[in-house]
Parts: sequence; structure tokens; C-alpha cells
Amino acid sequence: MSPGSLTLALLSGELMADVVEYPLLHAEQVSIRFGGLQALDRVDFQVNDGEIVGLIGPNGAGKTTFFNCVSGFYAPDTGRVAYRGRDITDLRPDQRVHLGIGRTFQQVGLVRSFTVLENVMVAQHQKVQYDTGGGMFGSPQSWAEEHLVRDRAFEVLDYMGLLHLAHSRLDGLSYGTLKQVEVAAVLGTDPDVLMLDEPLAGLSPEEGEAFGDRILEMREELGLTVVVIEHHVPFVLRVCDYIYVLNFGQLLAEGEPHDIRGNLAVAEAYMGEGATALA
Amino acid sequence: MARTERADDAITEATQPAGVEPSADGRARHAIVLADPRERWRPSPIGVIARLAVIAFYILLVIAIPHLIPGTLVNVAARAAVFAIVAVSMNVLMGYAGQVSLGHQAFVGVGAFTSAYFLSEAGMPYPFALAASLATGAGAALVLGMVALRVRGLYLALITIAYGLFAKEVIFNIRSLTGGGAGLRAPRPGVFDSDIAYVYFCAAVLGLILVFDWRLTATKAGRAIEALRDDERVASSWGINVTAYKLLAFVISGSIAGLAGALFAGIEQVVSPIDFDFTLALTFVLMTVVGGLGNRWGVIQGGIFFAILPTLLEKGHSNWHFFPFTQLNAQWEPLIGALLLILTLVQFPGGIAQQQEHLLRWLRFQPFRADPVVDPALAGRKRKRGAGPSGQASGLAGPDVPGLADARPSERGTDG
Repeated sequence: MSPGSLTLALLSGELMADVVEYPLLHAEQVSIRFGGLQALDRVDFQVNDGEIVGLIGPNGAGKTTFFNCVSGFYAPDTGRVAYRGRDITDLRPDQRVHLGIGRTFQQVGLVRSFTVLENVMVAQHQKVQYDTGGGMFGSPQSWAEEHLVRDRAFEVLDYMGLLHLAHSRLDGLSYGTLKQVEVAAVLGTDPDVLMLDEPLAGLSPEEGEAFGDRILEMREELGLTVVVIEHHVPFVLRVCDYIYVLNFGQLLAEGEPHDIRGNLAVAEAYMGEGATALA
Repeated sequence: MARTERADDAITEATQPAGVEPSADGRARHAIVLADPRERWRPSPIGVIARLAVIAFYILLVIAIPHLIPGTLVNVAARAAVFAIVAVSMNVLMGYAGQVSLGHQAFVGVGAFTSAYFLSEAGMPYPFALAASLATGAGAALVLGMVALRVRGLYLALITIAYGLFAKEVIFNIRSLTGGGAGLRAPRPGVFDSDIAYVYFCAAVLGLILVFDWRLTATKAGRAIEALRDDERVASSWGINVTAYKLLAFVISGSIAGLAGALFAGIEQVVSPIDFDFTLALTFVLMTVVGGLGNRWGVIQGGIFFAILPTLLEKGHSNWHFFPFTQLNAQWEPLIGALLLILTLVQFPGGIAQQQEHLLRWLRFQPFRADPVVDPALAGRKRKRGAGPSGQASGLAGPDVPGLADARPSERGTDG
């Protein structure tokens, strides 16, 4: 490689990730205020490649607000969000998806009038190679690729164990199933980092346990990095490598699961004053 | 590496994720059961022949109609084809994108005057005039689309009304461009000069538009537009540029409407501002909703019905000497439209298409009764671990992370 091409590669950012060690996701001093409520107050947050990171805290602590700042739905008042060292604070949500950030919603984020299969197909929007006009005018490439899109959707559904529901409408499905379908759809966007907002809501304890295994599996098999908001503390302690605790918009604590388990402030925030241990 | 080892692992009992409740609804009892959801259901050879026969019958019907009706009414058939094209255009906007347009007569009018101007004033060839009306329709819709990015719901509806009225009262009365009250001459293309030939021309354009509409909904752009109709946040969380695709819906709808306008001008071969009244916009909305939002076969039937309704009432009044037709005339059209709208909203939100659900599904080479359901036994089957999207070949997996299992959290910032 000539020196010139190396410089070019560096400039274009191709080699940046290899040369300089950037965390996958990095939020710095993120603050946002809604009227009189300081929803987030100078939150620092970091996720490295291949980690499963938990974000916990009482209701109203600002967890989902933080997700919205990272995925681009809210613009923070102050602070920056960076992805692989690139500042993404000003990017639109769909541009962030292109970079590899996928997220789910607390209230199931699916297209209600579509079938399960169609939901996973539309989620592959960024993966589709042919351009918009080519599709509308029926270019041969678009025909061929539509088969691929369909196959990939089946593949994802099979992976999530939802294959039998492929042609179902969403109306008849339970809340827990919809949360699973939502994860399948986000997998359709081919994310590098998967941000799950309360994925266990609506699942039975056994199903929750199974979903924990599934997340660990996805990290191994798909090379995913996962950020998860969840109220179910044993799940978070079991699955996560690192945990951030938010309370009233501020970072209350951070650390590995065993640190968090013994953290008095966290126990108090969750269980009330006088509590000594979490879960 | 770790990944390939796992793929070679023995088949492992997979944990079953949540909420498996296959075909709990009553419909499933009659349903056709698919062993594998990846397979498409195919009708038997006799079924294929029956379907093709019915489709051929419909096509022949379209070809025969201009010859079957009295010569004075042939223009009504052309009008029906043009209204059907407008219905497809409305459907893109209202059915797919979920935007309201009470000013659609503006786009049709812009197309009509553009084509008339280029044909009679500038003396351009017909294809050029057609392309120009498509472009101006798209441009007019783009302007409204940019408003729709900021305003929604009731307020958008009001703005579209104002937009339509403004176009009719002001733009269409610019004497140098539109001929003012006298209107502009709009000749037909030479080959299709006779009334009957012009019906075929309009029907052919409708056919092309339907193919385009079908490819739109079957591919990326259509899916994106329909997704943002349901939930813009979800759509953008899947990487859909909501702004761009909403504008695209307006542009597509506007260009189809502009094209319809050019054909509309050719029916009477003269266009004047009075043709593009607000009531026309209401008719456009009515026919789309009554036809069935989101279903192209429903809306074109709605369009055809509302195009022939005035003639039907008039002829019924004078020719059919029995109740209730003795009482009806063309002035009853708005009342009938309103009643149909109420009936649709209360009883059949899916419009004509909903009532024809079974027929339309059958014609799409699907079973008559219901969509096939998947064998519930699939739910209990074993999932082969690693058989999922686990390799680069599938195009789904993220970048391979070497030594992932050993990758522990590295150093962190000490702040916080």
C-alpha cells in the first residue's frame, strides 16, 4: 500500500476503527430538558464492541429519553453522541440506522397494518441495493432482490423462532410475541448495536429466561453489541457485562454486575431508603 | 470462528420464544394449512384456468364496452378511465401515505392546462405535452408536500382545500396561459382521435399506471411509504427517511394526477377553469374512500362508479320509468355520494374492496376463503442452532468480531 493510499484510507475513515481504539458508542455529557424537567443531566455512557450493557433505573429516570438521544429522535440540549468515534449528534434517525444502530420501542414499534413477514421486509429498507426508481419501474434487479429480501425475512424469523407466524397479522398476537417480532424486525436492519427498550415486558419468567439466552446467543452468532433497558434486575445482572444506573436523569452508578448488586445507592433508589442490596 | 464451530454443533433443542398461539381465531378452521410458510400457495390447474378465464373475461369486457354503449355515451367511458387514474393517484396519497388531499382537482387541472397549452398554443407533439403535464402535476404536488411536512391532520386538510381553490380561482384564470373563462382547446393525439379509440388510449394508460402502482407497493419505496403512514417513528427507526418518502408520495400522486389531467382535457377537447370546481375534489375523495383506501382494485371501481353516476342518474330519470329512477336526476349525486360515504365509514371501512375481499384474493391466485395459514406444528419444531443468519453469506450478520468470547469490557472513562 502506497503512503498516498494509506492517507486516503485514513481520511475516509476506513482504517480509523483499526488504528485508533474508539468505543462503539459513546455519549458525553448528554443533557436534555423538557420544560421544568431535567430529563437527562450530563450523562456519560460508553459501550464497547461485543458488550451487553444494561441501563436500569426507576420509572421516569430518563432511560428511554437517553435511548431517544442515541437513536436520534431527540436532540440533546448539550453533549455529544459518537459512534465508532464519529460524532452522530446531528444525524437523523434513519442515517444512524445506516451506521448500524438498531433500536426497539417500549410501546411495540411495528407497522400494525402489515403482517409479521412484511414488517421484517420493510425493516430491511437500508439493505436493499436497487434504487427507489428502479423498484417503481420494475427493473430486473429489483425483482431479483425482492426474492432476497423475502428470503432474508424468513431467515430472521426462523432465527427468532417466529417462522410459523410469518403470515400472521399483528392484531391477534400477544404483547410478548409482538416484542419478539419487533426484535426480529430490528435484526432485519442488520444492526451492529441492538438497543432494546424493555424487551421482557409481557413475557412470562420462563420466556424471559429464554430471551436472556437468546441475547447471549445473538452476541455470539451475529456479533451483536447489545444495550438493554430492563426493569427485571435479575435478568440484567445475569446477562449484562456492564450496567449503568440512572436516577432522576443523572448517572447514579455504573459498574460490573457484582458492583451494582452491592451498591447501596442503587438499592435505595430501587427499593427505598434502608435497603441494603439489590435483588 | 467461534461461529462456525457452533454451526457444526449438533442440533440443539431451541428454547421457544414467547407467545406461540397459532391460528386461535375461528377462521383457521376452514383455512388451508401450509406446511412451510416460505412456500407460496398455488391453485390447482383447474383453479388456474378458472382464474385466467375470469381475468380474460374482465379484459374482454373493457375492450367491448366502448362498442356496447350508445355512441353519445362513449365519452363517459373515457371519463371513467380518467377518474380511475385519478383514484389511483388519490390512493397513493391517502391510502398508502395516509395524507389528506381535498385539493386534488388542482393537480388534475394543472395537468390539463399544461397539456392543452403545449398542444394548442405551443404546438408541441402529444408525448411532450403528456410528459409536461406529468411534470407540472408532480411540481404542484411537491409544493403541497412541503407544507404537509410541517402541518398535519385537520390543518393539512384545510390547506389542501385552500390550495385547490387558489389554483382554480387564480392560476387557472391567468388568461395568457389558460385562456381564462373561454378555456383552451385540447386536441387528442392523432391516432386516437375518435371517441372509441380515445377510450382505449385512456384505458391503456390506466393499465400502465396500475402496473406501476403494483411495482411501487411490491418494492422498497411503497413499503416505506406505507410504513410511515402507520408510524413515522418506527419507520425512521428502520432507516426510512420519512421526509423524503412523504415527499415522494406527493410527487408520485401529483404526477399521476397531472397525467390524468392531460387525458381529462382530451375528453371534451376543451378545458376551462369551471371544470375544476371544489365539488370535483370532493368527488375524488369520495370515490377513493368508497372504493377502499389502500386497495387499487377497489379505488378504480370507486372512480368508475363516480364517473358514470351523473350520467346514470340522468339516463335513469328519463329512460327507466319506474321508482325510484323517476325521482332521481343528476342533482342527487352529492346526496348519493354522501350516503355511500357514511355507509362505507360505518359498515365497510375497507370500501368496495372489503366487500370483494374474497373475489379479489381469488383473482390474485390465492384461495377464495382466506389466506393460507401456517401449520401450527411448526411452532414446536426444533430449531437448528446456527442455521439462522449466522454467516456473511446471508448478508445479515454484522462484521465478524474475532475472539468475541474473550472480549471483555476494556478500559472505561473514569468520569461519571
